[in-house]
Amino acid sequence: MPPWIAVLVVVALVAVTTLVGWALRRRESRPRRAVATGSEWLDAGARGAQATLVQFSTELCTRCPQVRRMLHTIAGEADGVALAEVDLTHRADLATRLHILQTPTVFVLDATGAVRSRFAGVPRKDAVAAELDRVIGDPAHV
Amino acid sequence: MSDAPVGIDPRGPRFGAAITSLLLLFVIVLGLSGISTAQGAASFGWFAYQPLSSQTFFPLSFILVTAPIGARILDPAFLLLLVVALLFLWGVLSPRTAPWGALYRKLVQPRLAPPAELEDPRPPRFAQGVGLLVSVIGLALQLCGVPWGLPIAAAAAFIAAFLNAAFGFCLGCQLYLLLQRAGLVGRRSAA
Repeated sequence: MPPWIAVLVVVALVAVTTLVGWALRRRESRPRRAVATGSEWLDAGARGAQATLVQFSTELCTRCPQVRRMLHTIAGEADGVALAEVDLTHRADLATRLHILQTPTVFVLDATGAVRSRFAGVPRKDAVAAELDRVIGDPAHV
Repeated sequence: MSDAPVGIDPRGPRFGAAITSLLLLFVIVLGLSGISTAQGAASFGWFAYQPLSSQTFFPLSFILVTAPIGARILDPAFLLLLVVALLFLWGVLSPRTAPWGALYRKLVQPRLAPPAELEDPRPPRFAQGVGLLVSVIGLALQLCGVPWGLPIAAAAAFIAAFLNAAFGFCLGCQLYLLLQRAGLVGRRSAA
């Protein structure tokens, strides 16, 4: 094909990849609210009185440290909110059972320990804080 | 984490990914305008491409299929992707001496504020391995005479490198977890 068409194709590829990147980033701050399910896989002692933020990581996860730092700040600012971290590197069974397709993944648990929503990827801090407020203000009745 | 290696500046691999994606863009342009996708009736290399020659029975035959192995290798897109693949290989074998990392530490890092946190060097190294695999697939397809194989593989590598450079997305991490769920890696210690 003529070089100018090749250049056009490449420009289109860059544009589409950029759009995909924006869409992926937007999606990461959108919580997926599930029907409340139990969290028996988490040690009961790791739960907070009001809510618990659970981060799933692996050893090979470049974006997990920044999320850990962000969640740490959120948990420090709120009362009764605990932060737990689960390393999936050697827990492939847990990743399968909880349908975790990528790390970092963040679960928001309410006071009863029920999983109320999850973020896949790196969410914005205000998105996590808003979801945490919602879960604390409206505990599941299970 | 006690056996974790010394951390690196996480912006280093993203700087490298930016240069890699630029190189891959050149590979794609060269591949699309070169022998990898060319159609025509020439049977002795793309230099003698003649759109209206007599072989009208095969108006859409790909030149790459009949091109001699030498022409497949001397294709500029093939040579440039080979360079990219060798750079990926360098990044896998010796990340500390790989050229883009060295360039980053020498020219870019001194002008920036220190990083907020250091990063485990193994994920970027894993990603270099994935990039190497995709590049080698593109090179092999070209050697086997598969039309479009090289530019499509280069485009796949570009998407991964560009998402890393521009958005910090770690496709390697995600791939690692999927491989793990499939039971291919990470089963050294029992759950």
